[in-house]
Amino acid sequence: MTSRLKRKLGDIGVDPSSARANENFCLIGTPLPPLEKSRDTGEFVPLWKQEVRDEKGRRRLHGAFTGGFSAGYFNTVGSKEGWTPQTFVSSRADRAKKKAARPEDFMDDEDLQDIRDSRKIVDTTDEMDFTTEKQAESQNDTDADPLTATLQSAMLPPSKDSIGARILKKMGWRVGQGIGPRISLKQRRLQDLRASSMTGSALSTNAPENALEEDTDEANKHTYAPRDTPVLIVERKDNSYGLGYQPGMSLNESLGTKGSGGPSTAPNISSGFGLGALNDADEDDLDVYDGGSVNIRSRLAYDATDDHDGERFALGSSNLRSASGPNLPSAGKHRDGTAVLSGFVLSGKPIMEDRWYPLPDIPPGWKPDPKRVWSQIQSQEQIPDSNKENFKGDPTAALPHGKWKTSGFSADERGSILGETPLPSAPRSVFDYMSQKDRDRLKNIAASLHSPSTTGISDKQPSPTLGPTTATLRIPRTDPRIAQAAISGFKPFAADPVKQARYTAYLQSQADSSSTVTLEPLPHQSISEFNSEMEEYAQSAIVFKPMSGAMAGRFTTAAVVEHGPKVIEGLHTPEFNDGPPQDNTASSDAENKAKDEKELSPKENAARMGMYGPLTRESVPWQPARLLCKRFGVKDPNPEPKTEDPTTQSSSTSYSQDPSSSASDSALASGTSPADYGIVSTTDGGSTGTSTGGPRDLANVGLGDEDDTQGRDTLTYERPSVDVFKAIFASDDEDSSDEEGDEGDSGDKNPNTINPSTASVAVVPSSVPSAVIDDQPVDPSTFKPTFVRREARTTITNADSDKKEKKEKKEKKKEKRKAIVSFMDDETGESLNLVVEKPQKKRKKEKVKEKKETRVQSKGSTTMDDDDEMWVEKPAPPSVSAPTDVEMPSTAASIASEAPRGRKRAVDYL
Amino acid sequence: MAPSRGPLPLARNLHVTLDGHKGPVNVARYAKGSAKYILTGGQDRTVRLWNASLGTEIKVFNAHGYEVLSISVAHDNAKFASSGGDRSIFVWDVTSGTTTRRLPGHMGKIHVVEFNEDASVLASGSFDSTVRLWDLRAQSRAPIQILEEAKDAIQAIHIDSTTITTGSVDGYVRAYDLRKGELRSDYIGHPVTAVVPTQDSQTLLVTSLDSHIRLIDTTNGKMLNSFTGHTNSSYRCRACFGHSEATVVCGDENGMVWAWDLLDAKLLQPNPPPKVHSKVITWTEHHPSDAGEMITSSADGTCKVWRHPT
Repeated sequence: MTSRLKRKLGDIGVDPSSARANENFCLIGTPLPPLEKSRDTGEFVPLWKQEVRDEKGRRRLHGAFTGGFSAGYFNTVGSKEGWTPQTFVSSRADRAKKKAARPEDFMDDEDLQDIRDSRKIVDTTDEMDFTTEKQAESQNDTDADPLTATLQSAMLPPSKDSIGARILKKMGWRVGQGIGPRISLKQRRLQDLRASSMTGSALSTNAPENALEEDTDEANKHTYAPRDTPVLIVERKDNSYGLGYQPGMSLNESLGTKGSGGPSTAPNISSGFGLGALNDADEDDLDVYDGGSVNIRSRLAYDATDDHDGERFALGSSNLRSASGPNLPSAGKHRDGTAVLSGFVLSGKPIMEDRWYPLPDIPPGWKPDPKRVWSQIQSQEQIPDSNKENFKGDPTAALPHGKWKTSGFSADERGSILGETPLPSAPRSVFDYMSQKDRDRLKNIAASLHSPSTTGISDKQPSPTLGPTTATLRIPRTDPRIAQAAISGFKPFAADPVKQARYTAYLQSQADSSSTVTLEPLPHQSISEFNSEMEEYAQSAIVFKPMSGAMAGRFTTAAVVEHGPKVIEGLHTPEFNDGPPQDNTASSDAENKAKDEKELSPKENAARMGMYGPLTRESVPWQPARLLCKRFGVKDPNPEPKTEDPTTQSSSTSYSQDPSSSASDSALASGTSPADYGIVSTTDGGSTGTSTGGPRDLANVGLGDEDDTQGRDTLTYERPSVDVFKAIFASDDEDSSDEEGDEGDSGDKNPNTINPSTASVAVVPSSVPSAVIDDQPVDPSTFKPTFVRREARTTITNADSDKKEKKEKKEKKKEKRKAIVSFMDDETGESLNLVVEKPQKKRKKEKVKEKKETRVQSKGSTTMDDDDEMWVEKPAPPSVSAPTDVEMPSTAASIASEAPRGRKRAVDYL
Repeated sequence: MAPSRGPLPLARNLHVTLDGHKGPVNVARYAKGSAKYILTGGQDRTVRLWNASLGTEIKVFNAHGYEVLSISVAHDNAKFASSGGDRSIFVWDVTSGTTTRRLPGHMGKIHVVEFNEDASVLASGSFDSTVRLWDLRAQSRAPIQILEEAKDAIQAIHIDSTTITTGSVDGYVRAYDLRKGELRSDYIGHPVTAVVPTQDSQTLLVTSLDSHIRLIDTTNGKMLNSFTGHTNSSYRCRACFGHSEATVVCGDENGMVWAWDLLDAKLLQPNPPPKVHSKVITWTEHHPSDAGEMITSSADGTCKVWRHPT
């Protein structure tokens, strides 16, 4: 409200905060809140803005949709701490102060409110006691002895008048009087009369009447309080008599016939309301509830005057009563002589007249024969053809369409029955075109094909031979697609091969509309059985068709196919167990074993045999995250942009010219040296070689037909600009010495284990011993790997490592500061003398260095002894490497000593 | 026996017993550097730092809410990582004894954590069959990469400069070669519980739950040697190399420490070895530099330091 008003004022141009706008003219009542200050509490708030608050202003609903009751501590104990245990206070000292706890102490304000609400001003359950009051009053009147009065009031319980009684008393009412304005004597007498008539004791009223008559004059001068209304005493019905029966009544009396008593003079007039002395007893005034007179009159259940016509038959109509008089209960007698019940009258005409129709004329020769009818019905069911027409005029009209379609005739059938010449129509099948001889031949072939299965499948014959029996064969349609799918799907009748064969035959016939396979009922099968069987097939085709599309991909078929029991053709001949079954089981066991063996993949087999190696290994390309490469200080093996593609491609082709070189190449690329076990050579190329060429197959490399792009670069080769050469050759003489040093290390993956042997062999990868070892299959029992003993190696490397350690020492001193943080003790230096075991020590530093180097692209820093450095260096320009590589397959060895995508040396390009 | 002829005999003299854990000790690792200290993690949700030579407990690292299954010490000994049942990796600051990082993300208990060489990347292998690689340089909480090739729980990880090698319960040892961008999976056929490479990264000691320890050639996946005799069919008993990689040492489920010659795979004397732990030996680790020291941790709640009699 206020906001709207504010807006309106704003539109007009009135500042709501100005003094004028807020001027108060309110003289009476509460002024509206000032415009700019508070919101009108009665203002409309949209439902979602409304908040439920309790009487103390606490929010009651909280939560996401304010649907929950107040969370937190609001509804619990009212403190953030919740229930905290009370600190123990000894109550020993102030036991006296302690008082009994009342229930109210444990009630909260709401409970107290409830109590207050439930307290009533007037207790309706209080008993009223008029007598004591009366006594007190009368005593007060008679002897006003204050002492006794006080004593009495103290002794006697206080009066328990209800509030109504007390009010009435205040208004002048006395106990024993009636309520109402005071009345004259006459009226009072009338009242008395009425009361007496009600009770029926007329005698009691007569006596005072005489006495009263004397002083009527005097009495007329006064007004009187009205008589007290008699309390209606409803007698409790504690017997089991029927209503209106009093003990001692005779049977007749109870029936209402007052044979001995004689008819009563007049009906009792209800003495309730507004019946003056002069009023005639009308029908309406008769006491409805007068038990004594019930029998006398027959009454209507509803107002007779509303009903004008006398059509009803009733418990006694007024017409009748007027005719025969109301008091003729025994007048009617039933035809059999029994008296009509009192209150009932014999009806003159029947309640409902039956209608009678004359019997049809029965043909003279007719004899009832129900059997004929039944037999007719049965035959109708079985043969729903021509007979039907005899019974029903037009069976076709009565049949619903669907039924007609399945059970009715086709036009051809009808025609054949009627003997029409068949119309020239499209022939049914190929067979119609065939000569009889061909047909027979085909039939023979088919029979020979199907005879073993004895399933009753037969090639379709020309339809005329099928005859009228096939008319009722119903073969339900199945969608060709479903049928096609179901053929390949689950075999639901695997346990019953005959059925399964029929099922598949059915599916085939449905799947291919042009197929000539049809089904016929088995010899022992009735038509209805056959039909139900077909229905079953159609259903199971729908149910068991394999899932298609996306769903099918998520499931796999069971490894174990459940075949039904093997059915032996021909008659069953009981088998005598004398050996063969054992053979069978044994052979099946062996089979199973063989199957198990077979099911193992070659990999598992190899693992089981202990033939680890190429069989158990599989290599797949894997893309490490870029960040991971960065953290490891490794160049991304497959960089995403395709710009470098020509280089890698051409280099890979160049390497893969010679399989042996590529194999050793791959070995080197994986950071291993072939020195320790010269196993990596020609034969291994097959297993590991795939990785070198990427997606290419090594076997096909170089054959020329598998790569369309091969040789294209040679044809479209353009000589690169001079400065490219310059860039290469200028740096060459500076780098060459370092490169040579690097080359030795390049094969070594681990920077710390400097292995001179690796360097030496890496240059000549196909050394003699390696080839020898590799050719023979590894026998775990006799095979002895040729290890160079660790100690021996270290002695060899001592010279090398000494040099390194000097370098490392320098770096380590710097590192030491960092190590202080750790639990590395002060003897750390000792460990330095020992063999290389701290690869990480210098890595961190080098990382930083590397980063710099990659940025600057500086070449040949002397500290580089890690071949990692080679990876971060810029690759050779692609255009240069491409042609030269192709020309030079003979340098495989030298190339092999390098990582495949490493930097090319100038030597390669010469 | 002359030291030149055969490998050094195993250190079989009990030097000190570290018995502070209240339950099984799942892992015991030497610190880096001179490896004077030992970190053990146990079922009692604590990681404890010990002085190996004195056998005194230096520190208890309490933060895990579940058992500790794996510990990895960073190269500079300044921090270490631990993992276990509470599905997140805790990276600890050694001196302050507090966790500097907690890396949640795994869906199951984490069986193994491993730093890379400069502790910039942390790899964790979990029951949820993934390996997650965490970046410790950046502040991001998301893993750099998730390796989801394994079909079953990852039990072992080793990282060297360019390769991440994982061992999984599905029987595979997978080597993720960063340089080649290639994943080489070797089928072992039995659940792999530990993968320990030699220093030169050319061979791999693979412990699997068929009571076999195999020495696998990393280049072509061939088995070079197979070490048997011990019992290991249901627990992770990590085998390791002896001094200078001349022997293979493994504790087994009966509490015995077995040793083989690396080259001829013959059991070293005594055969059978004495039972030194009352329960399964969960971890065996040889001192990285000292020839005559190794530690074993066991489910009997102790971790023992073994030395040569000197």
